[in-house]
Amino acid sequence: MGIPTRFLFGGVLMRKKRISVVALLFVLPVIAILLAISIFPLIYSFYLSLCQWDIGTGASRTFIGARNYLRLFTDARLWGALRNTGLELLLGVGSQFLLGLALALLLNRPFRGRNLVVTLFLLPMMISPVVVGCIWKIIYHYQYGPLNFLLERLKLNSVNWLGSNQVSIYSIILADIWEWTPFVMITLLAGLQAIPDELYEAARVDGATRLGTFFWVVLPLLRPVMIIAILIRVMDAFKIFDLVALLTMGGPGQSSETIAFYNYLTGFKYFSMGYASSMAYLQLAIIVIIANVFLKSWKGREIS
Amino acid sequence: MKDNLRYIIFVGIFLLLALALSPFIWNLMTSFKDKGEYFTYPPVFIPRSFDVEHYLQGMKLGGTRGIRDSFIIAASTTLLSVALGSLAAYSLARFHIGGENLAFWILSVRMMPPIASILPLFLFFRSLRWLDTYQALILTHLLMNLPFAVWMMKGFFEELPAELEEAALVDGCGRLGAFTRIAMPLVAPGLVATALFCFMFSWNEFLFALILGRSKVVPITVNIAGLIGGHEILWAEISAVSIVASVPIIIIAIVLQRYLVRGLTLGAVKG
Repeated sequence: MGIPTRFLFGGVLMRKKRISVVALLFVLPVIAILLAISIFPLIYSFYLSLCQWDIGTGASRTFIGARNYLRLFTDARLWGALRNTGLELLLGVGSQFLLGLALALLLNRPFRGRNLVVTLFLLPMMISPVVVGCIWKIIYHYQYGPLNFLLERLKLNSVNWLGSNQVSIYSIILADIWEWTPFVMITLLAGLQAIPDELYEAARVDGATRLGTFFWVVLPLLRPVMIIAILIRVMDAFKIFDLVALLTMGGPGQSSETIAFYNYLTGFKYFSMGYASSMAYLQLAIIVIIANVFLKSWKGREIS
Repeated sequence: MKDNLRYIIFVGIFLLLALALSPFIWNLMTSFKDKGEYFTYPPVFIPRSFDVEHYLQGMKLGGTRGIRDSFIIAASTTLLSVALGSLAAYSLARFHIGGENLAFWILSVRMMPPIASILPLFLFFRSLRWLDTYQALILTHLLMNLPFAVWMMKGFFEELPAELEEAALVDGCGRLGAFTRIAMPLVAPGLVATALFCFMFSWNEFLFALILGRSKVVPITVNIAGLIGGHEILWAEISAVSIVASVPIIIIAIVLQRYLVRGLTLGAVKG
């Protein structure tokens, strides 16, 4: 308590070198594995991104410099996929945030059975995205699905949820909202519960209204957690693949392709390994930017 | 007035919960329906009989194999992640080896787009003739689980007061002894939580499994997706398999309650 840990360690062992050997041995396996399955493969795929290599045709690998990267800019299909991914980020993550915040505020009060209610709310994000896709595929069914039945009962028109190139991407986003709103909810709920009751008291004593307390006490204190929740969702939503694969396969046509899904098709259906690698590097660059913002806000939080 | 508001809020919560869970209920009902009951308009809400016929059929259509394969992969990747991850985490937490940079580098692996990692890995495994093998998927799942385990365990070790290990050192316990006999037992609950998360991530994973699995290794997620892609869609069987595949996850979710926020935010929010 009184004595800082490191002095005591030093005092007992007096062999700082040996500590670092043990420390190194402990961390070495993880570093070795991550180098082997992440860094070296990525270096290799950077080289590939400078090559043309269509492994489906048995053609050999030829070095073509930056041409794959130039092709990215003129690939209309890629821009369509980026647009869909952007829609998912704006509409999907945006709605998840607003709904999640509302739910968190609603659930931030003690009542009997609250733990059970919260856990039940979390189920959509715990189960596999494949199961989520499977569930919504049934719900969205044009002829026999319960959703269109419900719409007709309400005297509204049936919607071709998965078979219309105007609608399909929004159907994917809707399923994603259902799946991931709970994540925002539980994260913000944890943030809300960390706010001490005395602050609400103090605000009340100072004559703040409910709304005033929310804007001037709750929101500022919740901000760091909000940022983390949004950034994690943005990072994940940017990689959205499973729901696209399960619900529409990017269709009809290419209307609901996302960047991760188009990248998958390029690599594992058309087998253009070079072009697919350059596309992967484009995503990597975007993720690096988002991740850096995330890490900065995290480090900032630890200081405060 | 105030009581009325409370009442409205509870009814609201209940309705929202019902709305959020209704897709599950529909899935559960579908798993008991016969063909004539799910391919019909207006839709049938309650199936005629609740026998488990479609569950048995679904298990025969690759469900059993899928669950076995998923279990082998998830259990192996979990064991490796937790064992190696704890060692690294201890080193990071107690000796600050590599400083913040090493720790954040490990975390950054977890954030990479999976498609970027799997392209070169696929080619590696292809030349090793490792496609369609357990080891390929176990290794690939380490991409998400190893950094995760390191970060979670690092947080748990940092919360342990170092004094306990110091006392052990003074008593003549070696560094290794202090780690195995003092630190590890104290973080046991965190260790279990981390392991359950790793298991869940691997069990639910789809993209890697889809690319690396073929005919010999078909994890449950790939199995379900395959059934949906088939030319004759057997909804009841698909629903049944998807429910069976979700049961372990629901149990894990209930056990993990206390750690959920922490795990899902990679330790950024302690919850």
